Amino acid sequence: MGKIIKGPTTRELMQQLATESEGMGVNDRREFLRKGIASASGLAALGMAGSLSANEAMLNPTNLPPNEPSWGRMLGHGVVEYPYGQPSKFESHVVRRTVPWLTAESISSISMTPLQDLKGIITPNGLVFERYHAGVPQINPQEHRLIIHGMVERPLIFTMEDLMRFPSVSQIKFLECPANGGMEWRGTQMEALQFTHGMLSCCEWTGVPLRVLLEEAGVKPEGKWILAEGADGAHMSRSIPIEKALDDVIVVYAQNGEMLRPEQGYPLRLVNPGWEGNTSIKWLRRLEVGDQPWYHREETSKYTDLMADGRARKFTFVQECNSVITSPCPENPITSSGLIEIEGIAWSGRGTIKRVDISFDGGVSWTPANLKGLVLEKALTRFSLVTKWDGQPWLLQARAVDDTGYVQPTLKQLREARGVESIYHKNAIHTWQVLNTGEVKNVQIS
Amino acid sequence: MFKSVKPTLKTVALTSLVTGSVSFSAVLHAESAGIGRTVTAEEIAGWDIDVRPDGLGLPVGEGSVLDGEALYEAKCAACHGLFGEGEGRWPVLAGGKGTLAQERPTKTVGSYWPYASTLYDYIYRAMPFTAPRSLSAEETYAISAYVLYLNDLVDEEFVLSNENLASIEMPNKGGFFVDPRPDVNNPLCMENCADASTMKIQGSIGGVTPISHFVEGADGPAASHEAQHELESEMEKERLKELGVEVEEAVSASKPAELSAAAIAGKAVYEQACAACHGMGIAGAPKVGDKAAWTARNAQGMETLVSHAINGYQGNDGVMPAKGGRTDLSDEAVSNAVAFMAESSR
Repeated sequence: MGKIIKGPTTRELMQQLATESEGMGVNDRREFLRKGIASASGLAALGMAGSLSANEAMLNPTNLPPNEPSWGRMLGHGVVEYPYGQPSKFESHVVRRTVPWLTAESISSISMTPLQDLKGIITPNGLVFERYHAGVPQINPQEHRLIIHGMVERPLIFTMEDLMRFPSVSQIKFLECPANGGMEWRGTQMEALQFTHGMLSCCEWTGVPLRVLLEEAGVKPEGKWILAEGADGAHMSRSIPIEKALDDVIVVYAQNGEMLRPEQGYPLRLVNPGWEGNTSIKWLRRLEVGDQPWYHREETSKYTDLMADGRARKFTFVQECNSVITSPCPENPITSSGLIEIEGIAWSGRGTIKRVDISFDGGVSWTPANLKGLVLEKALTRFSLVTKWDGQPWLLQARAVDDTGYVQPTLKQLREARGVESIYHKNAIHTWQVLNTGEVKNVQIS
Repeated sequence: MFKSVKPTLKTVALTSLVTGSVSFSAVLHAESAGIGRTVTAEEIAGWDIDVRPDGLGLPVGEGSVLDGEALYEAKCAACHGLFGEGEGRWPVLAGGKGTLAQERPTKTVGSYWPYASTLYDYIYRAMPFTAPRSLSAEETYAISAYVLYLNDLVDEEFVLSNENLASIEMPNKGGFFVDPRPDVNNPLCMENCADASTMKIQGSIGGVTPISHFVEGADGPAASHEAQHELESEMEKERLKELGVEVEEAVSASKPAELSAAAIAGKAVYEQACAACHGMGIAGAPKVGDKAAWTARNAQGMETLVSHAINGYQGNDGVMPAKGGRTDLSDEAVSNAVAFMAESSR
């Protein structure tokens, strides 16, 4: 359900009551509106200092025990009225969002996943963050082709049907834009978790290991790099070392059990597990094997990390160990004192999450959290710590450690090593300031 | 899709999959799965557009700075600026020399890009933004030459070709090094890990992100690209006024009350498909709300305007690709969007 920090106006309450009472019998509706308006105007009189919360005021008392709720006294819709199911209308606030000023316009832009509303480790397909450079192409899969050529024994061309004949693999892997959090190198700017960390998703990807296709084509000994290229208007291209290509890269046609969404590269994309999202070329149409990298725009002008001395790091592929608390967070304030589960997600492009610690005092002392659910390599991992909150202010942090022993760094350490102009790969420990009201603010500690 | 099941599955190596512990790829390595077919040289040639720093992949051809100037001004300047300075948030192409180690570095072709080949490759594969893959090799050489010229890297007589491109030395060629991460070592400390007495807490300035979905009435200054652009141009006007520059007041854009049913239906299409160019007047596109630009066009009649929008049109100032490149749109949707733009600009 939605959590609006300030209450709605009386007018909005009345509109909502009218909407919610649609379909009721005449008498029920009259009674409902009478009670609802009474409570709404009562609320307006009390103001927000009153004991009645806005959410409680909007409830229809005739749907609460001991009454039989309206939905128990009528019929709902039948099968295939909605052949492709959608979330409940009460979840309509769970959507991707963007910060418009980040880019020139919306066709070459980015949107963020609502991490604050998600459970478990899988991102639903309709909520996976978007990143396009020339909009989403509408590709007829029967006209889509993948060409593998260059330094290979047998240059090959595949139809989608061909690719789906290869035995498939399914793997749960996170996918993250390396610019995730990159707006905050200099200081805090974003006022919501969705904007600080939402260029992140985790899906079960199904497809063919790239290694299988490359072996089918026969990579020549001098082949050291591959160029992957998309079929969209941007013809996005990235150079990938052959070691990675032969290791765990997947040529993917399905996500979370269904064919890829157009936004995610339908009908075919690469997934480079643990590497910056930009290398996982969407709408994949061509793989060329060569003996050196191509130094295209997305690996020179963009996706290189400028250091304080004016020199820049290139081929910064790995998304290093990172974590963030998703509850509480600015969108999920603490609404009542007493028991609280601190929850969040951790991930590492180098391997598996080994541990996560929580700090309540801005990093002075740390308490181990539990990892819960599936703990998989290069996948989101959920952590949890149950404690009590009684109105005390917190400087809440999470710190993840992966199985290489790498400990998620502080922002200070990253700034000392890299300066503040590198844009990409900010995987610093993040701080939420919990106020005594339960509100949560995005802050940085120096 | 994928409904047509082929009854003639070749089983070759696949049968051996179930027989033992041999990994699938090892089996394939020993014996091809026989899936897919050999691609022809002609098929590769049409898609093999990539270019490398050593010049591999460059087609035979050439283009001059002089030819590039006209092409650049027609196809590139609306976004990148006449001198490569960049309009709005579109990329800056020129200048920025010596700024990489400064407080606010300007990364341009001249100040940052290590190789000239990247310029040719990117323009040929993705530019101009609204009409990718529409440039010939000769045009790409010419525009690349002009961008190099804007960065003072070649003189105005220069002709760029497949012969000389790889030998152009870019100023920041030596400015890149391979990723050394992990580059920080945070020890796994559990107690007394930081000094609370010297801790400084820095919050957000507030109002820069759209958060009305959870804080009522607290939206950032810009909930849309259009609103953001308006805000920025207002700020720019204020700045210019302070400098004593005479500023033209903009004509307000949409007037929903006067719109026809078609125009109302076309608003959403406009916002999704047309606003990228027609919202800001990019690539010679008449800007919505610009009465002067639309009066002459409206005079041609809606039929002509719609036909140009659907089939594409080469104007004096720029080019309108068929359906603005969005060929997935129906003719009716395009027609409605034209109605919205024309009616909003009367």
